[in-house]
Amino acid sequence: MILSKSKQIEEEGYPPSMENSSSDIGRGVDGISRLNLLPEERTELLDVKAWAPMLETYGLTMKVAVALTDTEGNLLGKCHNAQPIWTLVQNTKVSNQAGCPFCLSPPLPCMAVADALRTGRPTMVRDLAGLMHVAVPLSLGKHSLGAIIAGQVSDQYPESLLLKRAAEKFGVSAQLLWDLSVKQRPVGRASLQLAADLLCTLGKAFLRERYGAILETHISQANLRFRLLVEGVTDYALFTTDYLGRVTGWNVGAERMLGYCEAQILGQNFSRMFTSEDIQNHAPEKQFLKASQEGRAEDEGWRVRENKTQFWANVIITPLAEDGDSRRGFALVMQDITTRRKAEIELETVRQERIDLQEQFLSHVSHELRTPLTAIYFFITNLLDGVAGNLTPGQRETLEFSLENVKQLKDMVSDLLDVSRIETLKLNINPQCMSVPGLIAEVLRTCHANAKLKNISLNTDIAESLPSAWADRARIRQVLINLIDNGIRFTPGEGSIAIHGGVFAEDNNFLCLSVTDTGCGISPGNYPMVFDRLAQVETVADTSRKGLGLGLFISKELISQQGGRIWVESQVGQGSTFYFTLPAFSLARFCASILTPTNLEAGSATLLSIDVSSIDGAIPAQDLSAIRKTLERSIFLGQDLLLPSMTEAETTETFFIIACADRSGAEAMTKRLRRDLENSRVKPTICLTTVQLPVNDQPWDKRISEVTSQIDKLIQGHLLGRESLR
Amino acid sequence: MSVKKILIVDDDEYLLIGLAAKLKANGYAVVTASDGIGAVASTRREKPDLIILDLGLPAGDGFLVLERLRAMAELLATPVIVLSAWDPTNNRQRSLKAGAVAFFQKPPDNREFLSAIRHALGEEVALSQFLKT
Repeated sequence: MILSKSKQIEEEGYPPSMENSSSDIGRGVDGISRLNLLPEERTELLDVKAWAPMLETYGLTMKVAVALTDTEGNLLGKCHNAQPIWTLVQNTKVSNQAGCPFCLSPPLPCMAVADALRTGRPTMVRDLAGLMHVAVPLSLGKHSLGAIIAGQVSDQYPESLLLKRAAEKFGVSAQLLWDLSVKQRPVGRASLQLAADLLCTLGKAFLRERYGAILETHISQANLRFRLLVEGVTDYALFTTDYLGRVTGWNVGAERMLGYCEAQILGQNFSRMFTSEDIQNHAPEKQFLKASQEGRAEDEGWRVRENKTQFWANVIITPLAEDGDSRRGFALVMQDITTRRKAEIELETVRQERIDLQEQFLSHVSHELRTPLTAIYFFITNLLDGVAGNLTPGQRETLEFSLENVKQLKDMVSDLLDVSRIETLKLNINPQCMSVPGLIAEVLRTCHANAKLKNISLNTDIAESLPSAWADRARIRQVLINLIDNGIRFTPGEGSIAIHGGVFAEDNNFLCLSVTDTGCGISPGNYPMVFDRLAQVETVADTSRKGLGLGLFISKELISQQGGRIWVESQVGQGSTFYFTLPAFSLARFCASILTPTNLEAGSATLLSIDVSSIDGAIPAQDLSAIRKTLERSIFLGQDLLLPSMTEAETTETFFIIACADRSGAEAMTKRLRRDLENSRVKPTICLTTVQLPVNDQPWDKRISEVTSQIDKLIQGHLLGRESLR
Repeated sequence: MSVKKILIVDDDEYLLIGLAAKLKANGYAVVTASDGIGAVASTRREKPDLIILDLGLPAGDGFLVLERLRAMAELLATPVIVLSAWDPTNNRQRSLKAGAVAFFQKPPDNREFLSAIRHALGEEVALSQFLKT
């Protein structure tokens, strides 16, 4: 920008017409008319030393006195080629006397400089003594800088009367003035006019030249500063690339940080500074794209030096763009923050060690507590069973209280371990396809005894045909028991607790379960707090002991880690409702990876059901997991899919495989499965059902959803059939 | 039917007393051992019908005991129920793999625990067979 402006001044050249040239310098050239000059730049523009040779030459050539003045007409520097009269007058003049230095007519003010600056034209004046001088304005844009005054000559033979008057006014000898005046050669008015115009052009040109020179100096200084900045900065690597990532500029800092010297790296792609892993992940391209799109990209990561060592870098990429066109390339600022990173890692390690230690401690404590707790549990239950003889009602009650306390202790021990696991991210969650009504029935059986003690009724309201949930059954059981126990604890006798289950109204990809009590309630301000670790909400202080207050914290973690959400709504004095959501199991989503147009090209898919059953009691868990492993090995990844367990019956289990194969392909797979299951202790029954893909003009997603729903129906039908057989 | 003999292996004296009383009350004969070596020796000597085994034992932990028992042909058929304070997350699977028939974390639910004992002793099978005939 700056450079182009100075160029404009040069190009404008010297206007041929004097009339034009006498106008403001740069008028009509927006850049100059708008420019702002700093005070020091004004001084610099009118630097008397710089002007001196030009003024001196002019004065000698034109045989006139010539001097530079400020805008007030005060002399700047000396008067060049001073005429004898001027010297005489100046020597007589009281120093610092205001007024025109070229006038022999005080105290009348000489308006030459002011007029010249106002009109922008040379202004000629004839003073009391009949001497002529001309003021030439010096302006740059809107800025008046000063003037050049030239003259102190007479345009005709001196008039004795005028000289005498002037001599009187100045207090000089009239004779002396006369002698000097007659020695000076008169200059014609016309030639003085011409000389003034010439001076005007000269002044204007010189001013521009000076301005250009000043700008040049500034620019070169700025360039130097920039170069010093870029080259001298050694803590940062500063470099530029073209839009393809080839290095186009390289500073000393970059050389120091990355080890390449300029000659080595220029023209090379900057991706060589990335780790091979990042290159495979297209990290360099991604960062350029982000910088182009967002105007800036910042990244932290490992970078590779010339000697293949790595450092942790913070990198800022800015496009060198004008009007959003990033094809000009990019500027990169890179900082080596390995030390900081190391400190962070160190800190994280220390933190991790502390947490591990804490977990070890909690785990140790909880395990150490379990054995004596078990002994106490056995003693109490033995007594209650009458092992040591019959009990009086009072003794029985005391023992039942003790048993209740043992159970509380046991829960606390489990909670302690869970909390330490949450903090070390070691909480195990194994989602499965689970039926909610079955689980709730099981939970109710567990909680029944507790509720009965306080005469609290437990009611359920489960939506019919509730889809299965995709969740860890044991963990959801834990959450439900937590919530119900919590409800029982805070609900006075004769109250009730209701468990609801349904599809989540806000999003049918989720199920929503809730536990409502008729307890003391929680004030809204405490809602978020109840899920805090070690939360103790004051308004619920009417029971003597509430455990460690970890139950809800653990519940929240268990739910959120399974993709659900837990929250509470409550009214003080009326009761509370705890809600939580769970992802619904969706066969369509589960099968989406294999039910694709490519896999279904054969026109059919096959459902294989592998039935396992045990006549006497539950099927041993290890048998089931062995079969599952075998099946997993026998199917083709990406083409066949082994569904998760769909039933909770203990004596039967059915494994389902969806195979994207036609009947003959599926039969081949059956053979393979039978062979692989040969060594298994349990001999499962394998049955095949082939689902034909609807052949019509429907779009693929419709045809796939059709297949999915057929498979779903087949699975449900198969499970129902087995159920009725039992 | 003869009284079934159960060997309890645990290093906690009180747990042995409490559990022994419970099992006796349920009609079983009980012998005890309190470390790994004792467990193997008692099994050989007493030929119990069932072993209730702790995992954290002095002189050879529960897994070592399981390994020893599985290595002896005459003891191979003796069912082992693990009753341990240890975390079930990994230890359940590990115990079952090593040959135990069930894993209970301390403290167990009495009903489930006794039912597992009966199941392991084949008593429930006998009952269902009885019902069938």
